[in-house]
Amino acid sequence: MPARPLKFFCALALALLLAAPGAAYLAVTAETDRSTVEIDGNLYLTVTVSGDSANVPEPKLPNMQNFNVYSSGRSQSISIINGKITTSVSFTYILTPRFIGAQTIPSISVFNGKEKAIAPELQVTVTKAKAALAAPSQPASRPAQPARPAARKQAAGGADRVPIFIKAETDRKSAYPGEQINVSIKFYTSVPLSSNPQYVPPAFKNLISEDLPPVRNGETDINGVRYAYSEIKAAMFALTPGPAEIKSATVIAQVPTDEQIDPFDPNFFQKFMARSGAQGQSRDFSTDPISIDIKPLPAGAPAAFGGAVGTYSVLASADRSEARTGEAVNFSVTVTGSGNLKAVTAPKLPDLADFKVFDTMSSLDIRKDGDVISGKKTFTYILVPRAEGRKTVPPVKFAFFDPRAGAYRELATDPVTLTVEKGAQAGKSLNFTPGSAAASAVTQSGSDIRYVSERKGGDALPFVAAQVNTLPYWSHAVPAALLGLSFLLARMNRFKLANPLLFRFRRARSEAARDIEETEALIKAGKHNEAVSTLYDSYMAYLSDKCGVKVSALTIRKATDLIKARFPRASARALEEIKDLWSALELRHFSPAAAEAEGARDLTRKYSLLIELLEKELR
Amino acid sequence: MNKLLLACLLALPAAASAYDLSEMAEFNDHYKNARYEEALEGYRKVVKKEPANPWGWYNAGNAQFRLGRMGPAVFNYAKAFTLNPRSGDIRANLDFALRQTGQRLVPEGAPKALHLLYYLFSDGELQAAAILFFWLACLTGGAGFLLDGSGPGRASGRASLALGALLLLSLAWLGARQSSTFTAAGVVTRAGGTRMLSGPGESFKTYASAPEGRLVKILDYDDEIYYEIGLPKEGIKGWALKTEVERL
Repeated sequence: MPARPLKFFCALALALLLAAPGAAYLAVTAETDRSTVEIDGNLYLTVTVSGDSANVPEPKLPNMQNFNVYSSGRSQSISIINGKITTSVSFTYILTPRFIGAQTIPSISVFNGKEKAIAPELQVTVTKAKAALAAPSQPASRPAQPARPAARKQAAGGADRVPIFIKAETDRKSAYPGEQINVSIKFYTSVPLSSNPQYVPPAFKNLISEDLPPVRNGETDINGVRYAYSEIKAAMFALTPGPAEIKSATVIAQVPTDEQIDPFDPNFFQKFMARSGAQGQSRDFSTDPISIDIKPLPAGAPAAFGGAVGTYSVLASADRSEARTGEAVNFSVTVTGSGNLKAVTAPKLPDLADFKVFDTMSSLDIRKDGDVISGKKTFTYILVPRAEGRKTVPPVKFAFFDPRAGAYRELATDPVTLTVEKGAQAGKSLNFTPGSAAASAVTQSGSDIRYVSERKGGDALPFVAAQVNTLPYWSHAVPAALLGLSFLLARMNRFKLANPLLFRFRRARSEAARDIEETEALIKAGKHNEAVSTLYDSYMAYLSDKCGVKVSALTIRKATDLIKARFPRASARALEEIKDLWSALELRHFSPAAAEAEGARDLTRKYSLLIELLEKELR
Repeated sequence: MNKLLLACLLALPAAASAYDLSEMAEFNDHYKNARYEEALEGYRKVVKKEPANPWGWYNAGNAQFRLGRMGPAVFNYAKAFTLNPRSGDIRANLDFALRQTGQRLVPEGAPKALHLLYYLFSDGELQAAAILFFWLACLTGGAGFLLDGSGPGRASGRASLALGALLLLSLAWLGARQSSTFTAAGVVTRAGGTRMLSGPGESFKTYASAPEGRLVKILDYDDEIYYEIGLPKEGIKGWALKTEVERL
């Protein structure tokens, strides 16, 4: 099979594969890394939201009383194939169980403003800590564990010591906007607690925070007193120069009045959380507010600086090295490093005369290893080559402020070269919505043929045309013939109007013949006088038509003279006959008494013979 | 009388297509449920009975497209387009299918509005319009001659001249359409394309190939087995099997 159809079918197959899940516009799945966890362990909950747009919503976690929940990071993948965007974002959470037994993680939902997707609830079994179970049988294996009743008694009995307290401290007192500041909140207790403490995180001023899970548990000696502690860490980033403040964090603990839990048990924290039903006195422990000075960024920022603070590297790449004009090429700029990647904005592309630049999408992966917020943010630009040839995307500049060095850094990617061949330019119809666009914006994520027509039958015009075109060719001669006939009739009419004497001359014989028939009818009816009168009038009209003068202006002499002049071939006998008939008719016409039947018939016969003679000679 | 005649003319297509109203819905149901082969079979019946029904061709094109047969899809869309070039749906799907095969409906650089105007009417409609204008011009002209000299006669004469001008316009339009991509054209429907031979027979050399879905000009129909086809863009011509190229 040739390469082009093969590529096409591959693309079609891929499109069909993508189309199947695409039917669900928004989907969410939730899974844990295991179904059983010890009370002192952690559980990773991964919620994956996928959709067919560049932006998918963050999942809304339900209220989980059975677990303490900490955000652990996110990982995003985005694919653009033939203009179809598919995004999948995995949000990772660390769950620390609070109670032993079968626990339920409620269903998790996401809502993008149009559709809602729900992941079913999950069941997790929380068991007792293995260490606690093993402790009686393996005391020697945990020499450092302060499971010594004597020591506990001593610690609890120290009246001048504070048995429970909470402390918050930051790793720095001043920072630049966007520079990571870690805060540690430690809850110490040297006495057993009868119930689970409730942690109320602090509010922040001019700061945004990211959890740094998991919760660390440990023991320490302070002024000779053995404390068990739980430490919760968070990373913060200042927003603007000026004062910032971490307000009080609070732990609400139930201090037991009777049964005690060994605070030096390695699983102390989970144990007292598990004892939710125990009775005790509720006490609040709060940290002191912490003020942080946020310094302004120094002047002299490069033009490419978009507000990124941290330590980064940048890399540019294209999803292929060969393309056709009009085809969309995914050009990615990846910013990798540590800092508040959420705030890193897309580098501005240099002027690209050889490419048409469509919208930009971004994907974000965040890790929290070693209490440092790091990861990568990838900006994908849709480039459509305008012309064929070897085309280069020049270096893309990215600038950031390095807080450790206290200086701006400017990086540039390597140029990316594409070999562009002439193509069908289909990609010009692609359109994408930028990642920052409003949710209400229209996003064309692909294209397809339109649906089959539900129209029943067809439009009238094509059918009428088809009917007209099926007429036989000879039928079109009919209007042409009618037109020709009409034309001839009109011509004749005009000729007739233009030559009235000629038509009278031609018509004279037929009218005379008609008069003769009428005369004969009158003779038969015995109306001899009317017959002679009719014959006389007919004879006058005939001579008038042949001579071209009015009847009133016609005399015998004038008639014979005109006939002689117009028809030189007329014989003398014919002229004599004209005169004789004229005289006879005048006599009978003006002396009606003499108009007998035989006389009228004779005149009629003479008139008929004369007409025959004249028609031969008057040509 | 005229209204009655018009009503009769307009009723013709409805009457002609009345029998398949429920059938088309049934075939569309097949399409909706992704039973494209069955839907295609139905649409073929429709176009066999009603060759002038653009929607039968259009739907058949959709079924072919879904089955991944780009050549037949282009052919069916092109047939629908030649019958009803004004339909936005037909234009969109034809353009989409053409783009899949490296072609496009509106030539590069040509204004879309001009292309739309150029294809406002199908060849059949232009031909029918020319026939109707001819008839009307003759009849009104005849009436003008018969009523020569009178007011109605002069009005008939003027109407005849106007209709004659429209006749010339439609003929000129038809003439201009002879160079259209879809006039005297065909589509390569064979999967994988068709070979172009230097003569009408296997003994001739194959010197080019036309890809599936490619619109070609048919230059010679006379041979029983081969068409002589031309690729205007590439400036080449050759002979291809009639079984591999569907004539529009």
